[in-house]
Order: sequence, then C-alpha cells, then structure tokens
Amino acid sequence: MSGSLEYILSGFEKAVDLLIHLEPETFSAVLATVQASSMSMLASLALGLPLGFVLGQTEFPGRRTVRTIVDTLLAFPTVVIGLLVYTFISHRGPLGGLELLFTLKGIAIGQTLLALPIVVALTAAAVEGQDPRLKTTLLTLGADLRQSARSTLWEARFAVLAAALTAYGRVVSEVGISMMVGGNIKWHTRTITTAITLETGKGEFGMGIALGVVLMVLAAIVNLGLAFLKKRSES
Amino acid sequence: MNSPAYQLSGLVHQYGPKTALLLDELNIDRGSIVGLAGPNGSGKSTLLRILALLERPTQGRVVFLGQEADFESARQRREVTLLLQDPYLLKRTVLENVAYGLRVRGDTNGLEKRVEEALEWVGLVPGDFMGRSHGALSGGEAQRVALAARLILRPRVLLLDEPTASVDTSSARLIREAALRARRERGCTLVVASHDQTWLEEVADQTFHLHAGRVAGAGPINLIRGPWQEQENGSALRELDPDNRIVSPGFIKQNSTAMLDPGEVSLHSRPPQNSPGFNLLFGKIISLNLTDHGSLVRAGISVAGLVFTACLDLEAFSRLGLNPGDPVWLTFEAQALKWL
Repeated sequence: MSGSLEYILSGFEKAVDLLIHLEPETFSAVLATVQASSMSMLASLALGLPLGFVLGQTEFPGRRTVRTIVDTLLAFPTVVIGLLVYTFISHRGPLGGLELLFTLKGIAIGQTLLALPIVVALTAAAVEGQDPRLKTTLLTLGADLRQSARSTLWEARFAVLAAALTAYGRVVSEVGISMMVGGNIKWHTRTITTAITLETGKGEFGMGIALGVVLMVLAAIVNLGLAFLKKRSES
Repeated sequence: MNSPAYQLSGLVHQYGPKTALLLDELNIDRGSIVGLAGPNGSGKSTLLRILALLERPTQGRVVFLGQEADFESARQRREVTLLLQDPYLLKRTVLENVAYGLRVRGDTNGLEKRVEEALEWVGLVPGDFMGRSHGALSGGEAQRVALAARLILRPRVLLLDEPTASVDTSSARLIREAALRARRERGCTLVVASHDQTWLEEVADQTFHLHAGRVAGAGPINLIRGPWQEQENGSALRELDPDNRIVSPGFIKQNSTAMLDPGEVSLHSRPPQNSPGFNLLFGKIISLNLTDHGSLVRAGISVAGLVFTACLDLEAFSRLGLNPGDPVWLTFEAQALKWL
C-alpha cells in the first residue's frame, strides 16, 4: 500500500521538477498543443461565427435540418474525425500533395472540424437567444446586414466567448486527432495529450503527471472563464 | 418636385394565412404629422414596420421620397427611423447607444458634441448620462436615450410606435416636445401610432384610424361593434340598453363592426323629435376638445358605456351651451353607418 503511494508521489515530485526546470521535452509538447489549438481555434471562429449567425438569425429552407446536423456533429468522435482527415491528407488521399500528414497544420485541420460544430451551434443559440427587438433596432438605426451581424455578435459577446471557450476546452483535451493525424512525433507533433498517453504506457508517470497538471490548469482556466461569462451574460 | 414622403397603393401584408394589413391607397406628405390610431392588433405596428422599410409587404407598391422603396439595402432605410414602444438599448454606454447610427454611417465628425446635443433635445443632462451603462436608466430615460439615438441621425421621417405608452408623464412630455421640434426645425415627417387620441388630434395634420388592418377613416371615427341582431325587415339592430338602440340598414354578421363619421353626429341639448331613418341616443358629455387648430370641437359622449365622438364647428357648438357632465341627445342617419 505504502509502496504504491510512494510510486505516485514520486511521479508528482518528478512532475514538479520538470515544470520548475522547464524541461525541454515537456515544453515542446505544451508548445505543440498551444500552436495546433491556436490555429484550429482561429479557423473555427473565422468560419463558425458567421455560420452560427446565419443559422441563428436567418430563415432559409432546410434550416431545421442543418441545425439537426450541426447538433449531431457536436458528438462526433475524435478518432472518426482523425480517420477522415487522415484519409484526405495521406499520400494517397485527395489532399496528399499538400503534405499535411504528421504536421501541426494537419492536427489543426482535424481540430477545426472538431471545434466548428461547437462554435456554430453555440453561436446560433446565442444569436437566437437575443432580444427580438435587437434586429429591428440595429436596422432602423441604419446598420447594413454585415454591420447588423457584427453588432448582434457583439451584443451576444459573452455567450459567443463561452462558445469559443467550450470549443477550446474540447480541442486541447482531444487525443484521437492528434495521435492519428499528428503521429505523436517527438519535438514535432507530440502534444500534451499524446505525450501523456505515450509516457504512461512507458511507465514514465512523472512526465505524464507534469503534462496532466498543465492540462488541468488549462481546463480550470477555461471553466473559470466559462463560469464568469455565464454570470455576465445572465446579468 | 416635392413628392410625398410615402405613396402606398394596393398594399397587402400577411403573416401566414392572416391578413395583417390591407390598404388601397395611403399618401403621407413630407413634413406632415400623421397619426395612426386604432386598437391593438389593428395593423399600426405592421404599417410602421413597412414605412420603416424593415418589412416588405406581401403585395403592393411603396414609393418612399419619390423612389420605389428598397427593402433590401440600408441606403433608403437611413432616411427613416423607427422608435419602438419598448426600446432596446445596446449593451453599451448611453454615449455609444446614441452614437451607434452615426458610427455605422461612418459619420463621426464631432461625435461627442452631437451626442450631447441629441441628449439635450430629450431633456437629459449629457454630463450625467453619457457615461452611464444601458442598464442604469429608468424606463422613461431609456426611451429618451432611444429617441436621442434617432434624432441625432436627422431622419427625413421619424416613426414613433406608442412612444409614450410606457413612460412617466414628464418623459412623455419631453418625448413629444422633441419629436415636434424635429418637425418644426428640421422639417422631419412624423408618423405617430398612439392610443393618446387627444394628443394626436391636437398635433396631427391627419389621423388614420385602423381597424382589422384597414384604414377605417381619416380623423376620429366611431366604431360600433356587435352583437347585432337581424330584424324582420333585414336591417341590423344594436341594443346598447332598452333606451338606446342603433339601427343600421342591412344585416351582415352578428359580430360585424359599423363605423360612423363623427361629423355625421348631431348634438342636442334638449330631446329632439325623432325622424324616420334617424337614430336617437341619449348620453352624457364626458370630454370636450378643440381640434383642427381651434376651429372644431370634438365631444366625447358616453352612451350606455360606449363612448361616441362627435365633431362640430365651434360656432354651432357654442350655441348649444354644453359642458362636460351635461346630458345630451345624439342623432345620426341610419344610412351614415358603414360596415367595415
């Protein structure tokens, strides 16, 4: 009993040591995670905010069907997204020539597919939840459609930010896409989650716990941010 | 070449199968004040949304300031603005709320000074209000900020949808004054939907009464709703009480509505002889107002709980010597009743 506890405690000790001394391999994984997730978040927000606005505010034939599809995609398993992206960007795939396989950009594409339905669905819900007088007010004050869309998203800013944070939380914690598309290449495409998987498999609990702590801190920041934004949007 | 502010013709607007508005023709002159009266659901707000170029009518033609109305682009919409009964303020400061319309136009020269001026127009002290959050305002203040956000745009047409219905009396006075000032000093055309008939008649050049999406008439109008009973001779009878019975030629439906032009109603201070083909009612004067720049008297008469309006010229009214609270007899021709 005491032996097993010691074993875990020594893992924590090593984790603290790795983090304090900015151990290069550990920080390479943190950096890869930050790079891939930043790219995917930028892409999913650039695509997802306008799409979410259109889905939330405009009437078009098949809107309900699109809404159902987007809601279904919220539960898309990461390994299936990884498989899809892999087949497209592998050397035999239609986008093979772009040489995206086993790169951070490749991971970012997969993560964009993961985050996009979340951003679209939550933005649409945020826009739909706005006061119906908002649209009339913006138009009657002279806003054109683009300005009206921008102002509506700004009015729903806390809910939209919450959508972004929710998507970010999912992106940084996924392992399926990073593993399949990135290939878990040391110093290159090894992210926090794939490193934890590998190090745990090798019995290197110290590094696994160190990276786990970083991931937990990120998750805590995201959750605190979400709680704060929820409070702001409710008030 | 001073075309009217609006020329509407053959207008039909539907929400699903329900017809919300049906107007053969309606013209609104530039610089005029037009009142829209009528009960809730009569189509006033729908008409205002069409006039604000926010909603394209299902059918019909709208000519705005001499040009075919464009419901898609912001270009024409920037000449007209609508103030809602219950305003929506953006989640920003008062300054940013008032400045919004100018910002989207890219017209930001001397912005702060213009916001100050607009706030002064609606009786708000700029120093106290500019930095305030949208949530730190009373209902009346919020409505005045919303009006300032529209006045700063110097619109050619200002549409007001029940602007004073949910504000305190002091705010209501300031809102009315600011709207009238915009018309007086800037030639702004005003279209006001309001239940405040007294105010409308005092200031409006013309008041359209809407009922079930149709213009029932210009100026005040009496609407007599059912239940009507069909008589043996085919006429319709509406019994207000045993002493006050209204007969109209031709029965349509039990719940039909008949309208009566107040100009068709004669008043008598003593019981008149009832002539065939005329309706005779007995009631009490409840209000007297001068309208049409002081040349007409509009009398409100309560008859068995129903309020009738009669309009007669000042001289004829003076001869009757009637005061509020006095008993009065009303007569009007049965033929004067028109079915809606």
